Amino acid sequence: MSRAQIIMTRLALLALVLAAWELLPRHQVVNPLLLPPLGDVLSMLGKLLLQARVHEAIGVTAAEVVVAFLIAVPLGAVLGVLIAESDYLGEVFKPMLFYVFSIPKSIFLPMFILAFGITFAQKVAYAAFTTTFVVMISAATAVESVKQDYILVARSYGATRAQILMRVYVPSMMPLLLEALRISMIFNFTGVMIAEMYASRTGIGHMISGWGENFQMPELFAGVILLSAVAVLFNEAVRFFEARCSAWRT
Amino acid sequence: MANLSQTMTVPGQQDTPPEKAAIEVANLSHIYAGAQGAVPALEDISMSVGSGRFVVIVGPSGCGKTSLLMMLAGLRAQSQGTILCHGRPISNPDPQRVGVIFQEASLYPWLTALDNIEFPLSLRGAPRDERRRRAQAMLILVGLEGFGERYPHELSGGMKQRVSIARGLVQDPPVLLMDEPFAALDEQTRMTMGHELLRIWSKTSKTVVFITHSLTEAVFLADEVLVMSARPGRIIDRIAVTLTRPRTYEMMATDAFGQLRERIWHQIRKAD
Ligand SMILES: Nc1ncnc2c1ncn2[C@@H]1O[C@H](COP(=O)(O)OP(=O)(O)OP(=O)(O)O)[C@@H](O)[C@H]1O
Ligand SMILES: [Mg+2]
Repeated sequence: MSRAQIIMTRLALLALVLAAWELLPRHQVVNPLLLPPLGDVLSMLGKLLLQARVHEAIGVTAAEVVVAFLIAVPLGAVLGVLIAESDYLGEVFKPMLFYVFSIPKSIFLPMFILAFGITFAQKVAYAAFTTTFVVMISAATAVESVKQDYILVARSYGATRAQILMRVYVPSMMPLLLEALRISMIFNFTGVMIAEMYASRTGIGHMISGWGENFQMPELFAGVILLSAVAVLFNEAVRFFEARCSAWRT
Repeated sequence: MANLSQTMTVPGQQDTPPEKAAIEVANLSHIYAGAQGAVPALEDISMSVGSGRFVVIVGPSGCGKTSLLMMLAGLRAQSQGTILCHGRPISNPDPQRVGVIFQEASLYPWLTALDNIEFPLSLRGAPRDERRRRAQAMLILVGLEGFGERYPHELSGGMKQRVSIARGLVQDPPVLLMDEPFAALDEQTRMTMGHELLRIWSKTSKTVVFITHSLTEAVFLADEVLVMSARPGRIIDRIAVTLTRPRTYEMMATDAFGQLRERIWHQIRKAD
């Protein structure tokens, strides 16, 4: 199949889903109280986007996502490199890390509320906490993925430690790190959402969970579309960064 | 006459080798401190490689060939003994004196062929023009003109190994160490690459130490074949290959070639 055909098929599928969303509730095939027609949802989205409190919620959520990400990525990267590079730290912390990683992080949420109250810091801390683990494990894996041969070759040509780091480790780890960055963003966004839906006074997650409780379906679906758009935006931002960094791809 | 002088040699008072030695190894031993106790890997290795000679090392798997090569390259320190390269000890990698070519081409996948060849030059901060010029010359030498902008995954196994040889030659070191460089290639490419290597070698007059498992390759390439014993590795035989140069594929079918191959095989079987 050609590229154009694939794109056409995708668009056709999308149109089909959207048409079904509009037509099925409109003609009472599915209950419009549970699934409002797409047109209603979109007009609700238009209204919401004019409201100041929605602007504020988007701003707060975006800020939480960005701040948590900026904390978690360098922190996780440094910790991950440390446990991968130091045999001692690796032996001590790796098993612990994998156990803790397997626990659903949301059970720690009440602790964050006790420590930080229902605040901006609580969301950021919780999201950064969950994301740090992902970054840490990805970074450790990335370090370990560097082939010993690559290092040996550089050493045989008299490379210094700094040169080995910059000319071998960094480019060799780059594809894995960039991939990890995108996955971390997904975890990070999820962390912020869970924290907002669990206990919050503002943010998109908070609004959505409120609409859900009050059975305001058009608002709820408009919120979901809005949130999806924001999430895709963050994902694309990371991918844009990724594309600029990776000169080579295999 | 030659026999007489050999029997008359007194230890510590050897006659000077006819040509200047590029590599001299004296009483080298190595013991690895493994988790399950000490592993004696090399025992009392002494060898001398004349300048411009092509020496091939063969021996059973695990006998310490790679370990020896690492020490010759200054990439690993031996437990005992000395290594001199052009009269000076080797303790750290010295790319100006010794170039190493590994089994897997181990090119950097994020660099083009040309950038891979330039890598050693860029490490010591050579100017861009000079780097390009020398890397281009090497690319032509190994017969890959026009492939400089390709990434390793766009090259065949044989081409990758050519790039790897070019990278080893770019600093023009007088000594080249090669650890089973063609082991990952199919038989046919392997023979072609051996032939190519001899062509390049005859143009550059390098000293080569070459490790292989293939006896045919050993006889085809070598001036001299050193046979090592199973672990701990010792040198148990030195076989001079008197076939004329340039070597041709036809020589492989001759009796002389077969006899040399047979003799090495015999020694290796004893060694294992
Ligand atoms: N870093 C190391 N630590 C401990 N033991 C090692 C180490 N490197 C090699 N050895 C051991 O030393 C011996 C010689 O290894 P080496 O790789 O030099 O053999 P080789 O002759 O190159 O083998 P092959 O023909 O399979 O490549 C082996 O028994 C190996 O297990
Ligand atoms: Mg080996």
